[in-house]
Amino acid sequence: MGGSVKKDIKLIIDNEDAENAPSAEAGIKDELQRWPLFGLSVGSFLQVIAMERQTCIMEVYLNSGHFGHFCFVEGQLFDAVCNDLDGETAAMEMIAWENVRLNIKQILNTSSVIRKIDKNLMLLLMESTRRRDEIMNAGEDMDMEDAEDIEALDDVEAVVDDADRAKFDACLNLLSNEMGDALTAATISKIDEDKVLSTYQTTAETARAFLRLTKFMKNAFETRSTVILGDHYVLDLKDRKLLVALIIGEHQWCVVFNSVKCTLGLFRNVIMPKVIRAYNEMNL
Amino acid sequence: MNIQKLNVCMDILKKDLGEGFVASCIITTDDGQVLLASEQANVAEATLLNDATALIRNALKTYPAELGNYYYIDVAGSMAILVIPFGEFQWTVTINKKLVKLGLLLNVVLPAIINAFEDAVVS
Repeated sequence: MGGSVKKDIKLIIDNEDAENAPSAEAGIKDELQRWPLFGLSVGSFLQVIAMERQTCIMEVYLNSGHFGHFCFVEGQLFDAVCNDLDGETAAMEMIAWENVRLNIKQILNTSSVIRKIDKNLMLLLMESTRRRDEIMNAGEDMDMEDAEDIEALDDVEAVVDDADRAKFDACLNLLSNEMGDALTAATISKIDEDKVLSTYQTTAETARAFLRLTKFMKNAFETRSTVILGDHYVLDLKDRKLLVALIIGEHQWCVVFNSVKCTLGLFRNVIMPKVIRAYNEMNL
Repeated sequence: MNIQKLNVCMDILKKDLGEGFVASCIITTDDGQVLLASEQANVAEATLLNDATALIRNALKTYPAELGNYYYIDVAGSMAILVIPFGEFQWTVTINKKLVKLGLLLNVVLPAIINAFEDAVVS
């Protein structure tokens, strides 16, 4: 498995013009040979390694004062080291680097590898994007202070909205990765604002219809009975499908899935906790 | 409809759920009238769930999908509600979710009471 990835990456090297490659130290051939890969972002390489479930060390070189490595076991990010940093801090530092050179080494024995990163790789990548957007937005805010342009402020809000939307999309991607082809459709909406934030294989109209249903049940229970709606409801659908509506904080997740490929027990006990954890880690 | 058999349905439910049984109510969907109710049954709750079922069916049309045999509502605290729509009738069962395993409810109790209810309706 490791060999095949290495072969693919070799193709990238062969197709690149070595003359244009960012050099670690200009003219130092040994350095170039030590980190032979370039041309893709750190995040892209990390995702390839995770998707291929590789067990390897990915070395990253930005310049002579900034280098480190990521450690993967079966596609799971276990650790990262960057100068004096390690774990998540080191990973976040290196994910933000651009124009880097890389090398990949296989790990033959994983018994001594200690897991220092618990967060999902997707969450780390999203967090890195969020931080970069924050910095960019801060810069834009500074420029706009003199302009006093209300429309421009709206644009900034739109950028912030887009950043949040990207997080919700990442949540649904995570759900899709966990559930595979059992997942039929999913939506995330903001309950109080009737706002559909992200959809997967369905329409905003459906998401809104279920928002209305949740609001109806919430209000009806409160006014016409003694009970309060809890954090989820489950609808049995025809054609062996289930719809689970999860109410997490101010958001509602609607997930439709094939109940043969993924049982309700599996969804409630394995998928749901992971999804809630991912949501909480994203600070939405 | 056989009233005696309908009472048997309720007995089966109580027996299968044991201490996890809280209340139950069967209503007609057209007018929301109560056919059968256990002690502590909340009729207002059962009729509002009749409206909820109509809303669910409409919401599912947009997807599109159709409601199957049941829906289950988690309620804050220790309760949960299982709703079983049967065309002209709707059966609402309130359980103590801390005492009844969802797997048991959906895989054992639900098929048994659906069979018993269908038997009561055709008799």
